Amino acid sequence: MILRWWLSTSALLSSLTIVLVLGFLLQSSWPLIQQQGIAFIVGDEWYPFESLYGMLPALVGTVWAVVLALLIALPCGVAAAIFCAELLPAQLRGPMRFSMELMAGVPSVVYGLLGMWVLLPLLESQLDLLTGRTLLAAGLLLALMILPTIMVLSEDAIRAVRQSQREAAKSLGIGWDATLWRVLLPQAWPGIRVATLLATGRAMGETVAVMLVVGSIDRIPDPFYNFLQPAQTLTSRIGREMAEASIGSLHWAALLFCGLLLAAIAMGLSLLTQRKGAAA
Amino acid sequence: MSRFSQQYRDTFNWYTPGKVLVVVLALPALLIPTMVLCYIFWQAAPVLDWGFLFGTADGIGFGMTEGIFSQLVGSLLLATMACLIATPFALGTALYYRTFATPWQQRLLSAMFNMLQGIPPIVFGLCGLVVLVNLFAWGVSLLSGAVVLAVVVLPLLVLNTLTTLERIPKEYSEAGSALGLTQGAIILRLWLPRSWLQLLTGLLLAMARALSETAPIMFTATVFSGVVWPDSIFSPVTTLQTHIFYLAQEGNDPLLTSIAWGSAAVLVLLVAFFALLARLLQKSGGH
Repeated sequence: MILRWWLSTSALLSSLTIVLVLGFLLQSSWPLIQQQGIAFIVGDEWYPFESLYGMLPALVGTVWAVVLALLIALPCGVAAAIFCAELLPAQLRGPMRFSMELMAGVPSVVYGLLGMWVLLPLLESQLDLLTGRTLLAAGLLLALMILPTIMVLSEDAIRAVRQSQREAAKSLGIGWDATLWRVLLPQAWPGIRVATLLATGRAMGETVAVMLVVGSIDRIPDPFYNFLQPAQTLTSRIGREMAEASIGSLHWAALLFCGLLLAAIAMGLSLLTQRKGAAA
Repeated sequence: MSRFSQQYRDTFNWYTPGKVLVVVLALPALLIPTMVLCYIFWQAAPVLDWGFLFGTADGIGFGMTEGIFSQLVGSLLLATMACLIATPFALGTALYYRTFATPWQQRLLSAMFNMLQGIPPIVFGLCGLVVLVNLFAWGVSLLSGAVVLAVVVLPLLVLNTLTTLERIPKEYSEAGSALGLTQGAIILRLWLPRSWLQLLTGLLLAMARALSETAPIMFTATVFSGVVWPDSIFSPVTTLQTHIFYLAQEGNDPLLTSIAWGSAAVLVLLVAFFALLARLLQKSGGH
């Protein structure tokens, strides 16, 4: 009886967390929606002192940072996964994998330190910029952070392809390259896709490291593909301004709405992940 | 003939265009992380000694003094409390999933925890700030931070416990109920003895995760300096994560720089220690 009570209560409470989190975020950001409608999501000006809470600059910044990170990390990560799964001698695979898992566990604030004190000066001197705090810096740092995730999960996916498939390809006289493109990658694709989605979620939600290097200027890059300009992401805005906003003000509500937006996008991503997982 | 030999070469050749491409793309992915780790420890080497670990900054000069003992204590306290809070709920939820849940509830639960796992930690930090710090008036405190971190590690613990329980052969539980054991006895006498090692592994991984999070505790649990031992669960703490974060923004003083790198190295080592311990346990328990 006690057992049943404990199990049901904890299941109920744990599953209520997500509802409570979303509920409180919505309730606290409600004043803003009530006052300004929902149109501020696509507004392109964020000036808390003039009650302008356009979300577009931070949304564009977030998308840019994530896309840059994926563009760099995806090819390198998948290639490294192929290298580990197919080319590396068997006795080296275990240590390699473990060191990758360790890298995946390195705290984001350490990457932030690295970005701040190594990457920024490097970018400034190499690209001749006034400030290294740019979308590019954020993208590079995020790429480094999601690389282990992509690698470990893609390697699992590639290794999960049956050995008999490789042997069949070989016996048909199909070369290594063709086997890779036509047999291994298509079969591992569902797994690589999930890895990419998880990495996207991680990159989007990363806070401290991005906040230190992105520059935190609420402006849509001009022109919009210029990633050598300072920008703002949803997470860096929350991190920068949360301490300044007074409780219950519109600014506060707007920041909580940023959090709600993040949670909504993350939940959409995880739904995508699960649907594919069920089909695969 | 020539076609055949071409294919033969492609199959058994050491370097094909594809292999070259893979290696060229893979090299930065394998080398840069290694270089990063080496760089951190190289920068940290000058300050890493026992005095650095167990010295306490006495509050003068805001973290300029060497010694990160109070930050170490704060980080470990927060992570441990978070895991202690999360474990009973995680275990209960996973057991509920395996025992009483209807298929419909099972689908709902697994969808929810996958979603919860995807939500960025800073969102939980925000929520903690609104609900725990302000609404419940717990203030910026150890307790607020621990609860927020507990929510962050909860999905990890639940999903790990679920995979562990799934590995127990069905025949065990069937034999148990055939012998007339109650559900409680099956859990206590059959499931737990068989899986406690894996559960402990999950707990260690959760510790590692809780230690590496910064964003959720930034607003809910930490101050910059001035606390060595928190007086109660309602007093704020200093942590390694936020210490590094504040120092990163401070500037170019060489002493400060080395303290920041030193703290980073200690944090990496701490996380790696828990991950390593988890792996060792898993290996020793492997059948």
